Amino acid sequence: MNLVRSELLKIRTTAAWLWMALGALLAVALAFVTNAWLAHTTLTGDADMLGLPPEEAAAQQDVVGQAANLYTSGQYFGLLFVMLIGVLMVTNEFFHQTATTTFLSTPKRTSVIFSKLVAASLIGFVFWLVTSVINLVAGALFMSINDFGTQLGEWEVQRAFLFNLLAYALWTILGIGVGTLITNQIGAVVTSAVVYLIGTQVASLFFFLLSSWLDSEAVLKWQVVLPSVASSVMVNSIESPMLPAWWVGALVLVGYAVVTGTIGILITRRRDIS
Amino acid sequence: MSDGQRSPTTGSGQIVVSGLTKQYKNVRAVNDLSFTVEPGRVTGFLGPNGAGKTTTLRMLLNLVTPTAGSATIGGRRYADLTDPLRHVGAVLEASSAHKGRTGINHLRVIAAAAGLPKTRADEVLAMVGLTPAAKRKFKGYSLGMKQRLGIAAAMLGDPRVLVLDEPANGLDPEGIRWMRGFLKALATEGRTVLVSSHLLSEMQLLADDVVIIAAGQLIRQGPVDQVIGSMAQTTRVRVRTPQATELAKALREQSAVVEVDPHGALLVAGVDAATVGRAALAVQAELHELTTERPDLEGVFLELTAGKAGIR
Ligand SMILES: Nc1ncnc2c1ncn2[C@@H]1O[C@H](COP(=O)(O)OP(=O)(O)OP(=O)(O)O)[C@@H](O)[C@H]1O
Ligand SMILES: [Mg+2]
Repeated sequence: MNLVRSELLKIRTTAAWLWMALGALLAVALAFVTNAWLAHTTLTGDADMLGLPPEEAAAQQDVVGQAANLYTSGQYFGLLFVMLIGVLMVTNEFFHQTATTTFLSTPKRTSVIFSKLVAASLIGFVFWLVTSVINLVAGALFMSINDFGTQLGEWEVQRAFLFNLLAYALWTILGIGVGTLITNQIGAVVTSAVVYLIGTQVASLFFFLLSSWLDSEAVLKWQVVLPSVASSVMVNSIESPMLPAWWVGALVLVGYAVVTGTIGILITRRRDIS
Repeated sequence: MSDGQRSPTTGSGQIVVSGLTKQYKNVRAVNDLSFTVEPGRVTGFLGPNGAGKTTTLRMLLNLVTPTAGSATIGGRRYADLTDPLRHVGAVLEASSAHKGRTGINHLRVIAAAAGLPKTRADEVLAMVGLTPAAKRKFKGYSLGMKQRLGIAAAMLGDPRVLVLDEPANGLDPEGIRWMRGFLKALATEGRTVLVSSHLLSEMQLLADDVVIIAAGQLIRQGPVDQVIGSMAQTTRVRVRTPQATELAKALREQSAVVEVDPHGALLVAGVDAATVGRAALAVQAELHELTTERPDLEGVFLELTAGKAGIR
């Protein structure tokens, strides 16, 4: 418990979290506006405007699904920011050479990483809480003003909130894992951001080409092996032929968090701090 | 010197390094090194650049994994200590705090991890005279201030063993004198103080014992006086007088060895200053200088480590 307190204090006493929080808030604002427009367009029947294939358009025309999407606005960039916090929690120790001090006060390195994981999920929780409250208030207002109903009683919507929380916690943990694998601060930040932002698009394109080449839509479902696709699948309740079931996304994401966390702990235990 | 003056910590803070070895890819940084460090004394840890001092201290503190051998503090490995900061304080390098964190917050982070009260951070900060800079960010600290912050961090848990790697680095003369008094006082209280340094004249003033290594291997260990005495260098008396020839003759009759240095002063070995003074009086020589030149740690160190490749 002392260790978790110490980790949280480390974060509170530096400025990085503030920038990430600002970024996440900005992302929520932008995404909410976009999602609100999307919900309005699809639910009022102008779906062909979006240029989607008919069955996909039909899938989108689902008020519960759109509500869930709206209530988790800002997830895409929010997750990036919490992941970066996780990355910084580890790489800062090497960049500023505080690893020495940290491991002197706690020679049991597994405990140090575990306390970082716990602290990271707490931070993920706070980010989720703040963004969710904003989305809840703004989303409920938007939905009722447009006579779609708030949809808050729907299990699918509630599930979206809950799994959004899981996503925030898991992505912060994933950040810790990446940080222990790539201890170079700039290297880790750039790698994780690039893989998250660009890598996902590149891989999606790859899967898209693969699916048209094999003439099989099922191939597209394999996109879920990408962590960012996995987490949006997990939160999304929209049933679409292009996406697998939500629990597949959840499993993939938990898998990533467990694997990077474990490898991170094993590497950190052996590393010479000099 | 001051062994056994304070009971509670004496005897439990002995450092034992035994057969310690660290092989990096191309260098054997530390090679089958064994020595002991006693409580109640300041032990100087000396060696040329690249001798393996830092590597040894890091292995002692479980930061670097030894290839072979072991190092214990009070009979236990560092990794096995419960509440390590309450047993051992370490100052390893000047720049080990987050640049954007204030000095006081740096200490609070460590105190929190070690389960120490927050007030302890203010206490140690005052102890090293850093209170005025408490709320300034670490990146704005001077080298000496960083060093002091490191010492403050080491003192957080009021440890009975202190390990310092070149703590005098960057300290001003006042700071160096402060540190000397500080470390000596800690040793007098019965604590173990192991400190590496390149400032040999400072070490001669500070240390009770020395451990000298070169190329990863032990060269000599023991009390400073003994180590110095063990070398060929001897105490000499330096004397300047206009009647040099007469005095030299008189001294040689007392079986002293007399040499003349380039500036015309006599360097007398084999007799003490009092004997030289008496001889001068007897031959009515007028004395302009009469000083005892002791062999110093620096000379002995250079002699001991000569030819042992420093940087490998
Ligand atoms: N992480 C490392 N990887 C490879 N070689 C290393 C590493 N750390 C130290 N060395 C090598 O080990 C040897 C001992 O280095 P060490 O830092 O222990 O010396 P030192 O006695 O502290 O020197 P100095 O007086 O300059 O501080 C050197 O040859 C150094 O190059
Ligand atoms: Mg060194």
